[in-house]
Amino acid sequence: MKLVDVMSASGLSMYAIVALVLFVAAFCGVLLMILAPGAAARHAQASRLPLEDDAPQSAGFRSSHE
Amino acid sequence: MSSQIETFSYDDAIVRRFLWATVIWGLVGFTVGLLIALQLANPWFNFNTEWLSFGRLRPLHTNAVIFAFAGNAIFTGVYYSTQRLLKTRMFSDGLGKFHFWGWQAIIVAAALTLPLGFTQAKEYAELEWPIDIAIAVVWVAFAINFFGTLAKRRERHIYVAIWFYIASIITVAVLHIFNNLSVPAGLFKSYSIYAGVQDAFMQWWYGHNAVAFFLTTPFLGLMYYFLPKAAERPIFSYKLSILHFWSLVFLYIWAGPHHLHYTALPDWASTLGMVFSVMLWMPSWGGMVNGLLTLRGAWNKVTDEPVLKFYVVAITAYGMSTFEGPMLSVKSVNALAHYTDWIIAHVHTGALGWNGLLTFGMIYWLAPRLFQAPLHSKKLAELHFWIASFGILLYVAAIYSAGITQGLMWRAFDETGRLAYPDFVETVMKLMPMYWVRVAGGSLYIVGTLIFIYNIFKTWQARPATYEVPVVSAARLVAAAPAPYTAPAGEGLVARFQSARWHRRWEALPLTFTIMVVIAVVVASLAEIIPTFLIRSNVPTIASVKPYTPLELAGRDLYIREGCFNCHSQMVRPLRHETERWGEYSKPGEFVYDHPFLWGSRRIGPDLARVGGKFPDLWHLRHFAEPRVIVQNSIMPSYGHLQRNGLDFEGIQARVDAMVMLGVPYGEAVNNAPAMARVQAQSIGASIESAGGPAGMGDREVVALIAYLQRLGKDIKQAPVATAAGVTP
Repeated sequence: MKLVDVMSASGLSMYAIVALVLFVAAFCGVLLMILAPGAAARHAQASRLPLEDDAPQSAGFRSSHE
Repeated sequence: MSSQIETFSYDDAIVRRFLWATVIWGLVGFTVGLLIALQLANPWFNFNTEWLSFGRLRPLHTNAVIFAFAGNAIFTGVYYSTQRLLKTRMFSDGLGKFHFWGWQAIIVAAALTLPLGFTQAKEYAELEWPIDIAIAVVWVAFAINFFGTLAKRRERHIYVAIWFYIASIITVAVLHIFNNLSVPAGLFKSYSIYAGVQDAFMQWWYGHNAVAFFLTTPFLGLMYYFLPKAAERPIFSYKLSILHFWSLVFLYIWAGPHHLHYTALPDWASTLGMVFSVMLWMPSWGGMVNGLLTLRGAWNKVTDEPVLKFYVVAITAYGMSTFEGPMLSVKSVNALAHYTDWIIAHVHTGALGWNGLLTFGMIYWLAPRLFQAPLHSKKLAELHFWIASFGILLYVAAIYSAGITQGLMWRAFDETGRLAYPDFVETVMKLMPMYWVRVAGGSLYIVGTLIFIYNIFKTWQARPATYEVPVVSAARLVAAAPAPYTAPAGEGLVARFQSARWHRRWEALPLTFTIMVVIAVVVASLAEIIPTFLIRSNVPTIASVKPYTPLELAGRDLYIREGCFNCHSQMVRPLRHETERWGEYSKPGEFVYDHPFLWGSRRIGPDLARVGGKFPDLWHLRHFAEPRVIVQNSIMPSYGHLQRNGLDFEGIQARVDAMVMLGVPYGEAVNNAPAMARVQAQSIGASIESAGGPAGMGDREVVALIAYLQRLGKDIKQAPVATAAGVTP
C-alpha cells in the first residue's frame, strides 16, 4: 500500500479548514498580545532603535534596559 | 547588570559594493525591459536573432529586476541596517564578500544562460540546476553571516526590521529549494520532479511567495528602518508593525493558488488561496498607513527632501498594489484579468513604484553617508523623482487599459451568440497604441535612472581619499538569557498571556523566534501542498492520456528553450468564451506527464492547449519561418533558425531516461528513443514535402516542435482503451 492510498482514504478534506482555524487563532493571539496593557512603553522604546544608532556613545548604557 | 563597554566599527565597504551592484543591474534590468516592450510594440525589435527574441529575454528582464536589482538593493539595506540595529559588525567580512561576489556571478550566469535558451520554464525560477545549487550555497552563506551577526549582537531587543529580514531569509531558502527540485538531463537541462497540476501548484506557491518574501517583506524591513531615519522620527505605531509582520508571515504563504483560478487546479485549493489573499488586504494596508503616518507633523519635510518624496510614492504604490492583489485574487475579477496585461500593470505598480522608488530613496539617503560627501545635487534627485513618477503613471495607465480591453474583447459575444472577436490577432492589434505609451513610460523611468546614476557617481567622485571609519562603542550583552518568566500569583490565563513577557523573551531569543517563523511558513505550506499531492481524487487520471513520443518530447524542450510559454498559455478555462474560442476545457488528468507544466500566465498569443490537428504541418513550418506571412499583423518573432538547425536526435535518449526516472512509462522508447524519433521526424518531413513545402525538413528542429504542437490536446479525444478509476497509469 502506497502513501497515496493511505492519504486518499483518510478523509483529509477538512485539513485545510483546520489549518485555517488554527491560523486565525494565532492571529487573534498576536492581536491580544500587542494590545496588552503595558506594551506601549516597551514599543515606544523599541521604535526608537533606528534613531539611536547614530549616537553610539549613549548606546553603551542601553542594553541595561531589560 | 554589569555592562562592559566594547569598541568596534561597522563594515561599510560591503554596503558600498552592494550599492553599486544595485545601480548597475538596475539599469541593465530596466533596459532589457524596454527592449522587450519594444518587441511587443513591433516584432522588428527581435532583430531576427534567436537569442534576442522575446521568449528568451523576458525571463532575463524579470530575473534581472527581481534578483539583481531588488536583490542587491535588499542586501545593501540589510548590511547597513543590521549592523547598526544590532550594534555589531557583521559576523564575517569574508562571508560578506563571498555573498557579494557569489551573487554577482549568479547574475552573470543568468544573463548568459537565459538568452541561450537554458531554462526550467518556471517563472522567476528559470535558472537551470547548476545555477540553482549556486544560489542555495550563496544564500546559506548570507544566512550564516546574518544569523551569526544576530548571535553576537549588543542590543537585546530585535527591532521589527530584523524580523522581516529573518522571515525573508528563511522563507526564500525553503521556496527556492522545493520549487527547484528536478532531475538533470544534461549540464543545462533538467525536468521538474513534479508534473502538471502539482508542478503548477508548487510553482505558484513559489512564485507568489517570491513576490511576498523577496519583493515585499525585505523591503518592508527596509521601510521600517530607513523611513524613520529619513523622517527623523520613530515609526507611527510599533504595535501595528508587529501586527503587520505576523499577519504577513501567517497569511502570505497560502495565497499562491490565486494564480491558478479556473485552471485544472482543484477548486478547494484555489478558493483557499483567494480567501487568504483577501485577508492580506488588511495587514498590507496597515503597513502602508503605518508608513505614511510616520510623516505626521513632518509633511513640510517632504516638500524639500527628495528622499521622503520617493518614500511617500513608494509606500503609496505598496498600498495600491496590495489593494489590487486581493481584488485580482477574487475569482470573478480574475476570470477577466487572468492572462491579460492587467497583471503586468499590477506587478509594475509594485516593482517600479514600491521596489524601485524605495530603493532610489534609500540610496539617495545612503550615498552621502557611505561616500562621506554631500549628495551632488538635490535638484537632480527631485528631477529624477518627477520623471520616474510620471513614467510609472504612463506605463501603468496604458497597460491597465490594455489588459482590461483585451479581457473584455476575449469574452465579448455578438447578438447572434458568437464570439465578437473570433480572430485572436484583432485583440492584439487593439493594444498597439497602449504598447507604445508603455515604451514612452518605461523610457522616462530609464531617463530618471540615468540622472540618478550620474548624481550618485558625482557624489562618489567627491569622496575623501580614504574613508573615515567611525569607532562605535556599546555594552556587551550579558551572556545569560533573561530571567525565566514566572507568572505572578492570582493572574488569570488571559492576563498572563496579555502581559506578553513571553513574546519579549522570544524577541530576545532569535533562535526561538526564527523557529516560530519557520513553523508558520511550513505548516501553512504543508496544509495546502499535502492534500494536492497525496489525495488522488484531486488529479483524476484519464486512460487515453499517454506520454509524449521521443520526438514530441524533444519538441517540447524546444518550446521551452524558445520561451514559447511566455506568450502562449496551454490551459482552457471552463468559461463559455474560452471553450467557444479554444475548445474543450482542460482537465487535470491531461497533464500527468508534463514535467514541467507549461500552462503559462499570459496570452500575448493564442492559447495552444488544443492546437493539435488544427493546422497542417506545412502551416506551422511557414508560420515559424515568418508568422506575418500567415497572420498579417502578428507580433510573434520569426523562428527561421528552427529550419536551419539540425535536430540532436542522439541527445533525446538522455531526456527520455530522465523522464523514466520521474516515473513516466516510456516502454519501448527506453533504449530506442533516437531511432523512434527519426522515424516520426521523417514522416512529418515527408508530409511537409508532399504538401508542397521544402524538402529535407525531416532532420531539422522544426519537425520536433511541429510534432509536439500537433499532439497538444488530442489525447482526450481518443477513445479510452480501458478505464480503471483510481489506478495510476
